[in-house]
Amino acid sequence: MPMKRLNLAVLALAVMAAACASRSDSSEREASAEDSSRRELAQVAAGGIVVDFKDGTTKAEYDAWESEWGVDLEFNSTEGERSGVTIAQGVGDVDAVLARIRQNPAVQFAEPLMMFAVPPGEEALSGLAAPLDEVNKDGYTPNDPEYPRQWNLRMINMPSAWQESRGKGVVVAVLDTGIAYEDYDDFKQVVDLKGAKFKKGYDFVNDDEHANDDHGHGTHVAGTIAQATNNGQGVAGVAFEATLMPVKVLNHFGSGTSADIADAIRFAADNGAKVINMSLGGGGHSKVMADAVEYARKKGVTVVAAAGNAGRARVEYPAAYPGSVAVAAVGPGGTRAPYSSYGKELDIAAPGGDKRQGDAGGILQNTIDPRDVSRSVYAAYQGTSMATPHVAAVAALLYAEGASGPDEVEKALFAGAKRVGGQAWTEEYGHGLLDAQASLAALGGGASRWPSMWWALALLALVLLTMRGRERPGYFNILFRPSFFIPLVLATVGVFFARSWFGGASGVAGDVVDAAYLPIPDWQRIIFGRGKMANPLFYSSLIPLLLSFLAIKYQGLRPAIGGLALGFAGFLSYAAWSKAPALAWMPFTFLALPWLVVNTFICLIIARAMLKRETV
Amino acid sequence: MKLTGRVVYRDIEGGVWVLEGDDGRTYQLAGGDRKIKKDGQRIEIEGDVARDVMTAFMVGPVLNVASYRFI
Repeated sequence: MPMKRLNLAVLALAVMAAACASRSDSSEREASAEDSSRRELAQVAAGGIVVDFKDGTTKAEYDAWESEWGVDLEFNSTEGERSGVTIAQGVGDVDAVLARIRQNPAVQFAEPLMMFAVPPGEEALSGLAAPLDEVNKDGYTPNDPEYPRQWNLRMINMPSAWQESRGKGVVVAVLDTGIAYEDYDDFKQVVDLKGAKFKKGYDFVNDDEHANDDHGHGTHVAGTIAQATNNGQGVAGVAFEATLMPVKVLNHFGSGTSADIADAIRFAADNGAKVINMSLGGGGHSKVMADAVEYARKKGVTVVAAAGNAGRARVEYPAAYPGSVAVAAVGPGGTRAPYSSYGKELDIAAPGGDKRQGDAGGILQNTIDPRDVSRSVYAAYQGTSMATPHVAAVAALLYAEGASGPDEVEKALFAGAKRVGGQAWTEEYGHGLLDAQASLAALGGGASRWPSMWWALALLALVLLTMRGRERPGYFNILFRPSFFIPLVLATVGVFFARSWFGGASGVAGDVVDAAYLPIPDWQRIIFGRGKMANPLFYSSLIPLLLSFLAIKYQGLRPAIGGLALGFAGFLSYAAWSKAPALAWMPFTFLALPWLVVNTFICLIIARAMLKRETV
Repeated sequence: MKLTGRVVYRDIEGGVWVLEGDDGRTYQLAGGDRKIKKDGQRIEIEGDVARDVMTAFMVGPVLNVASYRFI
């Protein structure tokens, strides 16, 4: 008997060790891939310089200064006459020349020319029906001329993510100052939204159906989500095959009321939006808005909002409501931008720009000239408003790839986020820095909940193998006994179809559906709310252990508790293997992992004891 | 209410004018005339803080300026 126990222990430990080893292998691989991409992101091009003159500087003017500087400058592109960006190649002493050029008052900035390379990505998926165009080993590279200046898109791994999804058909509502999406009155559609898809929205400020932008902010935000991309014009957007819904809630000064915004959230949720982007904030807690966010969530909508720009440890509303994803901003270096707010409600960080080093550090999109709503400009903005649409757009990609609702979307967003400083969650970055490609991978083709079930079945085989012939409950017939199998399913995948069948039920019935939808260990979310961290007592062997005491008295419960314990073992081992979630009171991954492994082990012992046939 | 501080232009979210108040808080300016936009100018403002207003700038509460004088 003791010998056998030892065997079991050794076997189980071996499995867990192998699982942990393979997990750390893959994370190491990810880490090295990231490193190489960073290294190759920007390199100085030998002898090249870029000089940005004040807008409106003509070729004749700078030609006159060239002989003094000893360089031959040319406009960088046809945009040059407006943007004033020029480049020169074959410059001898770059530093000395730049120093001379910077003396000229017409020069905004002059610096060595940087070559931007797309980070190396995954190979194109072999399962694609038809090979995507413009795909090479570095991922998808759109032909938009200003794309090389969009460091933010490479930072979140868009070239690889675009190979999988561009958000086709998913409706993203932009609750903002409007979008320059149509020619109407003195409004004009901006040039780089031509070809983007729109759904009818609403203007809650002026109460009409023309949610045009009279400020500039909303069009910029919408551009990050779905700028017309690979159209040989301007810049790219993250989910460029998604559909934008313009909803105007902020006036021409960029302000709006909580009443309008709450209305707009319900409007968007009722009219087919899957994602709501709110690059806005301020005011205090509002019950009306909190309810609206909860309403949208119940309808399967993911609500994404900006953490705020006060640079302090307080997340603004609506981002701070439990139902919304709160987004902080990072600069090109990947560290929190100085203006970005943060705090305990923060969920994730995304590029929002940092212009302390100049416009190149901002987020570049097409928008309107704030002084002339009919004029299209390319402008570099910074703010948590700019970070928010990156997350909203990746949420759209996740919906396009089959995510069923906000729970699944958030799970994939957070699981894919690049951890900062090895922490599962921090006040400044939430779960980490947005990574579109990793989040798509974490979604696992819409079947992210299944692996814990496969783990449970593998562990069942292990348990059965360690039993001696006479103790075995029979190899396979156990699987077909509902009293065993149903608890196993409940503990691993939950009644996953409950929502699509009975979704929308309200009151107690709705709560029951919500509970059954989740695997049992995740029921803690119902009790404690959707916190940032899982409760370690639920993510442990506690529930099967307590129930197993009942089985001492009521022998008939044994198969059911065996199934439950195995289900828990599968759930916990998968949690440990995939990405250990942040456990409350255990903020460090290195503590969460052993906790999950040890509890998996305890669950296995319980399961084995329950399944063992009494030997006479 | 009366507030003193400095008028500052911040290049955030496309640009916004704020009052960096002597009370240590930042207010987003609204109302007043366009001449209030003097970057770095010390100022005394009479106005109201709007409580239920949300903005694209998110730098602090919105201060509706009734009157002001540079100091």
